[in-house]
Amino acid sequence: MLPRWCGRVAAVVAVVMVSGCGAVSERRDAATAATERFEQALASGQYAEVCRALADVTRQEVEQSTGSPCEQGMSQEKVPDGGRVVHVDVYGRQVRAVLAEDTLFLSLFPAGWKVMAAGCTPQPEQPYQCEIKGG
Amino acid sequence: MTSRSDKASGRIGRPGRFWHDNGLGLGFGTAFLIVLVAQAFAGHADYNNQLLGDGMAQVGFGDYITSSDFGVDVMENWQSEYLQFFLYIFATVWLVQRGSPESKELHKAGRESDEDQMVGEHAREDSPSWAADRGWRQGAYARSLGLAMGLIFLLSWLAQSITGTAAYNEQQLRQLQAPTSWAEYLLSSDFWNRTLQNWQSELLAIGSMVILSIYLRQRGSPESKPVGAGHGDTGVEG
Repeated sequence: MLPRWCGRVAAVVAVVMVSGCGAVSERRDAATAATERFEQALASGQYAEVCRALADVTRQEVEQSTGSPCEQGMSQEKVPDGGRVVHVDVYGRQVRAVLAEDTLFLSLFPAGWKVMAAGCTPQPEQPYQCEIKGG
Repeated sequence: MTSRSDKASGRIGRPGRFWHDNGLGLGFGTAFLIVLVAQAFAGHADYNNQLLGDGMAQVGFGDYITSSDFGVDVMENWQSEYLQFFLYIFATVWLVQRGSPESKELHKAGRESDEDQMVGEHAREDSPSWAADRGWRQGAYARSLGLAMGLIFLLSWLAQSITGTAAYNEQQLRQLQAPTSWAEYLLSSDFWNRTLQNWQSELLAIGSMVILSIYLRQRGSPESKPVGAGHGDTGVEG
């Protein structure tokens, strides 16, 4: 018969695994919602909302590359209408959201999920080529 | 293990002797916990520096120690340590080294006789009950130390591969690259670099200990021969 502590360890491991899976599921849902908000704002031309969905570093990059405030800059960027969310990969505090016509990268901040990069197309053996990105 | 002389001297069970009699286990157990916490603090600071460089939000200590990044750093070291002991336990059954206290005497290579190993009919009164058994229990118990080390090695290596996949993919996403599957990660340079850099250091440590202990001494340590023992003396512990 196994010692009593084995049962306790198994219980702790089970709780950690279940809570870990729950956390990933919650993050996936929240990241999907943030992606959809970004896409809706982009499709309807609500650039103030689009800029609020961007990470600080990405917003700054848009302003720097266009030489305009974010809202105006985003209207000039060629980020495609992504369409529906097809697939979301969640690893820790990073997400790749694959849409029907686009791919987004998001990161978790204290204010929630923010878009790090959008308008991304895959490159063989290289990072995605993105229309807007931070850093 | 409790020796007869310990029992005879009345050490066991005497109040106040617990710390003395278990100093090695308690000392290393405590040191392990202290160093693990220290690693967590250092790893947390390093991880946040990377996030800061990428323009991402820094994480709290609790988030870090439950992250795959911390997990893989811990697991890659655990698996190699348990592999080291697993290999050493099994290798020293068959391989000997003249002059090394880490080796048994040269003529004892192999599993040795039942009499030497005090099993079956040769079991003593204080032998573990499974050592006296003649069936599968004796066979299992006679391999239990190596099997336990081997099992912990495999589990921690598996944990390294799982946490490593998550940590690697998190970094991939930070660099705007596609994540990989667990199976792909098992063939990746990241997995094997983490694995092999630990294995080589463990094998070097074992080999060094085997050879250096032939010629060098540490007075009072059971890992060394007695200071006055000859270089050719094998299987002698101080």
